[in-house]
Amino acid sequence: MELHPILQEFLDTWVYPTGFSGPGYDFRMHITERCIPAWNGMTMSAVKAAQEDAKTPTREWLWSSVLAGYAGEGPQMSIKQMSTQLLSVSLEDQERYIDLQRMRAQQVWDEVKHGMLHADVMLRGGYVKREEELMDSADANTLGILSYFGCTAMFPHIHPLARAAQHYFFEGSACLGIQVRMRYMNDPLDLHDNLSQYVDELMHFMEGKYQMDVYALTEKDQRAIEDTLDFLLKPWAPTLADALARAKQGAAA
Amino acid sequence: MNTQPEKIAIRIDHDKCTECRMCYVVCREINLNAVVIDPGPKHLHEIDMDRCTYPGCTVCLMYCPAPASIVETVSGLSLVPPPARVWTEDKRWPRRAPRTGN
Ligand code: SF4
Ligand code: SF4
Repeated sequence: MELHPILQEFLDTWVYPTGFSGPGYDFRMHITERCIPAWNGMTMSAVKAAQEDAKTPTREWLWSSVLAGYAGEGPQMSIKQMSTQLLSVSLEDQERYIDLQRMRAQQVWDEVKHGMLHADVMLRGGYVKREEELMDSADANTLGILSYFGCTAMFPHIHPLARAAQHYFFEGSACLGIQVRMRYMNDPLDLHDNLSQYVDELMHFMEGKYQMDVYALTEKDQRAIEDTLDFLLKPWAPTLADALARAKQGAAA
Repeated sequence: MNTQPEKIAIRIDHDKCTECRMCYVVCREINLNAVVIDPGPKHLHEIDMDRCTYPGCTVCLMYCPAPASIVETVSGLSLVPPPARVWTEDKRWPRRAPRTGN
């Protein structure tokens, strides 16, 4: 399989340099093998979408993407999803998983910040006059990605480490998608939407990387991560592209 | 023969850092605890070179997500993302392509 150069660079820079060795690292390399074809495919399709968007004279695509981002991040997701994850670590496990809890609390802030950034782009782009208008839009408040809400709200209750797979696979995809936008597009508002988020997504990816390297040491812990990935990589799982298309249809209706 | 690498100081550039504290977490995980929180009003985190073993250890660099936020104090060399030299020699993962420079 020929890897897209953006993916190759991501792998060389952020995936392979590793501070730990042992079963967690070996397991993460196995997980990496599973993620690479999907990451490569999504990088290629992100390139295609960016090239098409770059050719479009209007900024219709920007509205769809920030709206989907707004619906998928920010207070909505953070409060529902991250807080359920904070609660998913049982009291007796709190000490063992204190770093997960710490990183999860950090992510609440990151996601709220992303929501604010998307709203800012909508305001600057003239799509809405006041952020409150978004409260009337179902598209701004729901995101039709099963794996996103299904997995993120439910799996953490099964095992505290299940989220590591989501962080590794999904946030890795987010980093790649953002890199593509930043390199293939030349739109200042789009760049504004993506620039600061890139580092946050990378941090969330690093969270998954660290959790696997350090915590996924036993068959039982690894199983929880593998099961989550099985779910995320199911061919029937809706993709972000589906969600964006849905948001587009909603906006056009 | 002394095989210890010569000690080089590193510091955090708070203009670049996202304050995610990943470095704090990973350094504590390896029990070196060299990333310390300044008790001053901003609670910034700094690297305590009395405890840090860089360049013997580069763990914080492997997990820090913000380019140019950990730098060598004297040379100003940016160490995030990790320079190729800190990992290309490692044979654990044969897919790693040899790279030059950073
Ligand atoms: S890991 Fe990097 S970005 Fe995060 S707090 Fe440490 S220096 Fe800052
Ligand atoms: S180089 Fe190692 S010891 Fe020094 S701050 Fe980073 S993780 Fe801690």
